[in-house]
Amino acid sequence: MDIITTKNVNAYYGDNHVLKDITLEIEQNSVTAFIGPSGCGKSTFLRTLNRMNDYIDGFRKDGNIIVDGQDIYDKSVRVEELRQKIGMVFQKPNPFPKTIFENVAYGLKIQGVKDKTKIAEVVEESLKQSALWEEVKDDLNKSALSLSGGQQQRLCIARTLAVQPSIILMDEPASALDPISTAKIEELIAQLKEDYTIVIVTHNMQQASRISDKTAFFYMGDMIEYDKTKDIFTHPKNERTENYITGRFG
Amino acid sequence: MSNAMSNLDPELEALKHNLVDMLGLVNSQLSKCKEATLNEDLNLAKEVVSREKRVNALDLAIDKDCENILALYTPVATDLRFVLASLKISNDLERIGDNAEGIAGLLIHVMEKANEEMISKFKLNEMFDVTISMLSDMEEAVENEDTTLARQIFAKDEFLNENNRNADSIAKELIQQYPDNIKLILKLFSIVRKLERVGDLAKNIGEEVIFHIEAKVLKHKKDQKKKKK
Amino acid sequence: MNNLQKNRLYDTTFKYFGIACTSFGLIVLTIFLVDIIIEGAQRIDWDFLMNLPSRRPQKAGILTAWTGTAWILGLTAIISIPFGVAAGVYLEEYGKKSRLATIIEINIANLAGVPSIIYGLLGLEIFVRVFNFGGSLMAGAFTLALLILPIIIVATREALKAVPSTLRQASFGMGATKWQTIWYQVLPASSGGILTGIILALSRAVGETAPLIVIGALAYVPFVAKSPLDEFTVLPMQIFNWVSRPQHGFVVNAAAAIIILLLITFVMNGIAVYLRNKWQKKVNW
Repeated sequence: MDIITTKNVNAYYGDNHVLKDITLEIEQNSVTAFIGPSGCGKSTFLRTLNRMNDYIDGFRKDGNIIVDGQDIYDKSVRVEELRQKIGMVFQKPNPFPKTIFENVAYGLKIQGVKDKTKIAEVVEESLKQSALWEEVKDDLNKSALSLSGGQQQRLCIARTLAVQPSIILMDEPASALDPISTAKIEELIAQLKEDYTIVIVTHNMQQASRISDKTAFFYMGDMIEYDKTKDIFTHPKNERTENYITGRFG
Repeated sequence: MSNAMSNLDPELEALKHNLVDMLGLVNSQLSKCKEATLNEDLNLAKEVVSREKRVNALDLAIDKDCENILALYTPVATDLRFVLASLKISNDLERIGDNAEGIAGLLIHVMEKANEEMISKFKLNEMFDVTISMLSDMEEAVENEDTTLARQIFAKDEFLNENNRNADSIAKELIQQYPDNIKLILKLFSIVRKLERVGDLAKNIGEEVIFHIEAKVLKHKKDQKKKKK
Repeated sequence: MNNLQKNRLYDTTFKYFGIACTSFGLIVLTIFLVDIIIEGAQRIDWDFLMNLPSRRPQKAGILTAWTGTAWILGLTAIISIPFGVAAGVYLEEYGKKSRLATIIEINIANLAGVPSIIYGLLGLEIFVRVFNFGGSLMAGAFTLALLILPIIIVATREALKAVPSTLRQASFGMGATKWQTIWYQVLPASSGGILTGIILALSRAVGETAPLIVIGALAYVPFVAKSPLDEFTVLPMQIFNWVSRPQHGFVVNAAAAIIILLLITFVMNGIAVYLRNKWQKKVNW
């Protein structure tokens, strides 16, 4: 079942045509990777999925992006609700300068949830889901900034999970982390796949090949090829895809 | 879109070089066997036996190359297929080398006594020619990444298979004709068998070349077709 | 002499030059302080602090002056902080990056540099006459609030700018509205910087004399102000008044009052520095 469908999406930063006619479908409970050289538009495309590009002056788009049957750019859509359904994890871990507990509880706070027991339950559950609970359960009132980089990123994942999204967007979530933390994040993604749909932008092709079910290759705003990851990495159909994944350019 | 070199290209070139070398070496082994048969040259046959070491050494070198490339470069797509194909091709070539050595060994025993009639009845010369040309074709196909050439191998293999099928009855005939030379005839019969096996192995090489270039898997396809019938 | 030696020489020369300049400033300040303290320290006692002004130097005290300063400080803070911070937040967070916005930004910075007497004249016309506050604490507070408003706005904007955009993005990514992001994340994160700016602005207000004179603060106020509409005086004015008197006793009084004023200023700045350090430890970007 397709949970995200995009049709002929074009995007512009001012006069710059940064996404050209992107059409693809993303299946529920899958991990989809976007790969491509720097500046190819993959991050821009990711951000159109939760309308984070709305904040950029001069950004406009045409085409449709349909999530769960609804066009997310429709006037009737409340963008705050959209972002609770579609969470985002960023490249550099960016926990709030507050305690661990407050970080994870933030999503609930802005929704107006006041029940302290419920909040505590959700915080614990989310930290467990993001494989961080055991490491922090003894002191949730510690500052989030005192955690290591890998822990901070898992904290960011936990706070996203706390609002129970159905889709999680990840923009190079492990690129600022050491290999062991990266491995932990990849393990986490494999587990999360069962309950969430994950879309991940990555520069690391081996990461894409390890963790994703389908891979889309972007180049200069175009989507060149989109197929099962297995097929992309053993026999891609497009020569440009092959040149990129074998390291012959980009 | 530039065709820039990646770090991997020199490694792949070196691997290909080794592969082509091994193809050439094994080919020359078979040529020597043929010549030894034609000219009753015992020394050539002995050369083949001693050269077998070199074939094995190349096999090990190719194995090592592939292992290093896989570990260090995690190749994908066409590069990966090339490495996988090379592993299999070198394995096939090593067995062809074994067969050539076996043939040379048999020749050493029958050299003095074999007569031209037996050799021509078994069509040994033709079989040698076909296998040598198959290996030459493969050498070129690997060097130039030529799948059309690779495909020509299947018909040639058919010739060898047919000859092999007929060898039974030819052997029977010859034994009736020359009942004192049963051992000799059986040894020639073994050589026919071995050449047929060389043909099969060379055909495998053709399939691997096609797998590398076109990502098409041809092996076992004919078997499947046979089963359906 | 080769390059390395030359560079070393420049290095050493600059180092000693820097030390000399710093020392010069410190020495002058120390001389001034020591002079004042010698002159006025013995005059400070409970009577001095609690007495009303008088024509006789031995009896004169700074009660009305320091209570006036306290009043002015309080009222100015109440008026200027909400307006200043709100304006800073609006301009930085909600304002679009347009030419108009740039013009506003430049002009606010300019306003901070306008001589304070101009504000005094402005206050005289608007608050004393048009609003009819008279020469009262209200007029003084409003005038000073206008004076320090640009400082607070600029400090607020700078503190907000220092909050990295990744923080806002993280908040938006979770479905927070703009206001929620500002209220729950941006303001708390920038509070140290804003507070520092406010305290520095207020400590400037504490020392202002010229605008207050213009709007009609009196030099001789023999009563303690009880409501914002009362007339008043402040420490700087009292000092100014005493310094222009011939009796030597008043010079001593002035020195003593200066010590009190300096104390207030140092304490306020000290609080600002303390807060800034505390805040910087908490938030390590």
